[in-house]
Amino acid sequence: MKLTIKVDPDLCIGAASCVTIAPETFQLNDENKAVVLDHSTEPGGRVYERVIEVTEDEKGNIILAAQSCPTLAITILDEAGTQLFPEM
Amino acid sequence: MRYLIIGGGVAGTSAAEEIRKLDAESSITILSEEEHQLYSRVLLPHYIKGKIPRERCFLKKQTWYAEQKIDWLPGVTAVKLDTQNKFVAASDGREYEYDKLLIASGGEVRLLPADSRGTCYLRTLDDADHLLQLLGEAPMSASIVGGGFIGLEFINIFADRKIPAKLHMKEERFFPSVLDEDSSALIREKAEADGIAFKTGSTPEALEGLVGVGIGIAPNIAFATEAGVKTNRGVLTNEFLETNIADVYSAGDVAEFFDLVAGRQVMVGNWQNAMQQGRTVGKTMAGQRAAFELVSSYATNCRGVEVIFIGDVDRKAADEVIVKGSKAAGGVAQYFVRGGKLVGATLVNRNAERALATTTIKNREPYV
Repeated sequence: MKLTIKVDPDLCIGAASCVTIAPETFQLNDENKAVVLDHSTEPGGRVYERVIEVTEDEKGNIILAAQSCPTLAITILDEAGTQLFPEM
Repeated sequence: MRYLIIGGGVAGTSAAEEIRKLDAESSITILSEEEHQLYSRVLLPHYIKGKIPRERCFLKKQTWYAEQKIDWLPGVTAVKLDTQNKFVAASDGREYEYDKLLIASGGEVRLLPADSRGTCYLRTLDDADHLLQLLGEAPMSASIVGGGFIGLEFINIFADRKIPAKLHMKEERFFPSVLDEDSSALIREKAEADGIAFKTGSTPEALEGLVGVGIGIAPNIAFATEAGVKTNRGVLTNEFLETNIADVYSAGDVAEFFDLVAGRQVMVGNWQNAMQQGRTVGKTMAGQRAAFELVSSYATNCRGVEVIFIGDVDRKAADEVIVKGSKAAGGVAQYFVRGGKLVGATLVNRNAERALATTTIKNREPYV
């Protein structure tokens, strides 16, 4: 399945909780903000938003990473555009 | 099985959530001193600055607890612990029996000796509401007491609103047990340029007007110590977050745990540590014993100066501190070495080194 993963750089404070839990999906850039990766690769460069293909396990871990963010800077949507996190 | 959790913060709530994932039926009770459902303390500065509305601070809905079959008791604290008969006497006059107990009672802010109406702290959502009310009165000036992470937040809050402020701190520099002079000066000079004055060498007994105070946290451990749970600065645990008493665990700001990465007992007062400890100890309490291991980090930005602490950054506990860069160069990195291995790092305006430093510490490798 595909997920859309977005980081709001205005909310991100570089706590790096997401990097600890899902390092293949999140890394920090030189501004100390989280960027989104596609399985440790960065086609198109360092970006705050990306659509990636994931397995069910990977999806669970990415949502866990988003839940760990103390500023709720990470939003996750499914293919239908339904917001999986934060819960509305 | 009856699980009892003292503390409704992120450590206690994450533990409850993890236990429920592994154990659908057992009873889980959380005693929460605060009246609010779980919220993010880390979002309080964003709320105060108007970046997010108040309701965005909450991480759980009030209905979540009932949905998870968690008995959430707001406004209730532990008064006495009896580890022989396995119950906790609480401030509501009731006694709560347990089979497994988690002490995640956090800490209370240290108070100024004299408190005036304009004195505010920055620990709880109620503190943030109070500060916003005081800011709404359009103060002409303000004071800050303390040169730690909360002091840096107050600098941002007052400078954002162009309120001239004077910061009082006991020591000559920020985080004297961690930072060197150049690292501290980078933060201080930018703050001074943005209207913050400094008075070092003492902290005042009493101040008039709006006063933002951040002079540390006192862990809530008295009830545990009296019950025979081994404590030092906090509740002592091994790497499994188990105390010296069977079926009593501790996590979060109150825990003084054996840090597998640092190789010694430490206390860590940050969100990521508390959440991860809650998740880990929840597994252990539910029967899937798991060691806690994390390279903790703090990150903040004070008036555009990036400040990052990674791992064990106590100068006294290091064999050697290797310094890269300087104030003149615009950024300073310190690398803390012990037993030939990198155990910690501080980066002021040197963000790019964070990933490598974290990996090196995690892998117990030497600094190169």
